Amino acid sequence: MIRRRLVIVGAGPAGLSAAIAAAEAGLDPMVIDENPRIGGQIYRQPPPALPPEGGPPLSSAARRGVDLLHRFHQLRARITVLTETGAWGLFPPRRLAVHATRGWDTIEAEQLILAPGAYEYVPPFPGWTLPGVMTPGAAQLMAKTMHVRPGQRVVVAGTGPFLLVVAEQLHRAGLAVLAVVETVRAVEAVAALPRLLGHLGLLGEGLGYLYRLRRAKIPILRGQVVTEARGDGEVREVVIAPCDRDWRPDSSRRRTVMADTLCVGYGFVPRTQLAQLAGCRMRFADELGGWVPEVDEDLETSVPGLRVAGDGGGVAGALVAQEEGTLAGLAAAHHLGRLDAAAFARARKPVLRRLRRLRRFRAGLDALSRVRGGLSALATAETIVCRCEELTRAEVETGLTFGGTDIRTLKVMTRLGMGPCQGCMCWPAAARWIAARTGRSSAEVGPLSVRPPLTPVSLGDLAREPGFADGPAAEVAP
Amino acid sequence: MTPPSSASRNAPGTEGRPVCWHFDGEELRAVEGQTVAAALLAAGRRTWRTTGRRGEPRGLFCGMGVCFDCLVRIDGRPNCRACQTPVANGMRVETQHGSGSGEGPA
Repeated sequence: MIRRRLVIVGAGPAGLSAAIAAAEAGLDPMVIDENPRIGGQIYRQPPPALPPEGGPPLSSAARRGVDLLHRFHQLRARITVLTETGAWGLFPPRRLAVHATRGWDTIEAEQLILAPGAYEYVPPFPGWTLPGVMTPGAAQLMAKTMHVRPGQRVVVAGTGPFLLVVAEQLHRAGLAVLAVVETVRAVEAVAALPRLLGHLGLLGEGLGYLYRLRRAKIPILRGQVVTEARGDGEVREVVIAPCDRDWRPDSSRRRTVMADTLCVGYGFVPRTQLAQLAGCRMRFADELGGWVPEVDEDLETSVPGLRVAGDGGGVAGALVAQEEGTLAGLAAAHHLGRLDAAAFARARKPVLRRLRRLRRFRAGLDALSRVRGGLSALATAETIVCRCEELTRAEVETGLTFGGTDIRTLKVMTRLGMGPCQGCMCWPAAARWIAARTGRSSAEVGPLSVRPPLTPVSLGDLAREPGFADGPAAEVAP
Repeated sequence: MTPPSSASRNAPGTEGRPVCWHFDGEELRAVEGQTVAAALLAAGRRTWRTTGRRGEPRGLFCGMGVCFDCLVRIDGRPNCRACQTPVANGMRVETQHGSGSGEGPA
């Protein structure tokens, strides 16, 4: 077992900011990340031989990423970074189980900061399992970081400003971006404008993307929704239909676009599995992407010494994530005696002020991009809804009919959520159907059930390590 | 007990070099530092798994290690996420059928 004073899970904007704040306060934090490269989905840099993103001039977001990584590297001597290291368990209160290519171990942290980020929400629709259908984030990473075109002719669909960012990046990477399909209507976007004026910098960034898409003659189809992807073996056609304010498609007016790639995402879902394993008290917050851990002003959860920063604690974007990471890093340093009360109060005050302003802006965006019930109508009886277990909607509906209206019961009855993703992909959408069908709130339907290992670890791997006998497996059972 | 290794198969400072690897027996080139998923897409492949129950094709979906749709066999080991694994010289990647333990779709 490894013992550390401060461990940070996730090397995205929140995790890196937490490490910077803690290292500046004199701590030697350990940062672990599953990915081979740090930066998270948003700030990950291309391999050294490939030129950096897009070449100059960098976008404001890319510049922020370069700045953050630069500050992190300046403190690198103080920070232990374990990449390609996944946390597959978290045993209360703060003992992580991690594995890497060459073994596994447990890490006991005096203070633990979880900064796992979020993943994109894609409700099931016909054809969504076809190769060529992917999240905007997946396509972005390929084009921006890996310098690989994920396809030739692409439709970008869903909701939120991230679609504009990805469409522009794919266009610059040389893909033919046929359309951006945005479910929110123009009138709603205009109505939200006053709240967005609170942060002119961010509003300006968004308008910049709109301007560049217009210059590239990429149409933005508002108040429309992708209802289907078609093709034999991979995507060949994308079906688009106008939708109402509840995002219910009018299939009588659908039309078909020839495309080999469909990027689709309706906002983000916080990654909360580790917090759940730790036993953190959770709450449902639709505007933050679903279930999130309850935290106090300094981001401490109901588990003492365990903080959650960034999108994993509620989706609010990279700028909020950086501020929250800083706050969590400062708070951990304070608790470990590296910052006295006065120094901590001084350091956190401007961070809290910036957070308040950013959160106001986000509230405007969140109200606009709130997921509407009409999306639940997209999946037909034959549509696969659990990608891992290949269950159709009809099979899951049968489970619902027989009383499977919470994740545990439904799992046992149908195998929904029993695959390797542990329900990350299917449960957010399934929970919405159940809520609509039973007249309960999403909070009543409940969160995912989570159990270790979060990622597949073979028994052979665990057995190979000498620590197995007295490792976490022996300690979980009471 | 030793801490888990942070080293990938790629020695530090070797990222960016061309690498030679194999997919289903075919020799392919990639840039070190790219993931297996990126190298597959760059080679024009979009499908690298068939599902266990229905035998349907799958490829890249979430791209960030959450969905487990991009599973492949790497050097004989099943259930490796192509989106999280860096490609390396001499690596042998194979399409995964079903659970990857040998049996195909029912």
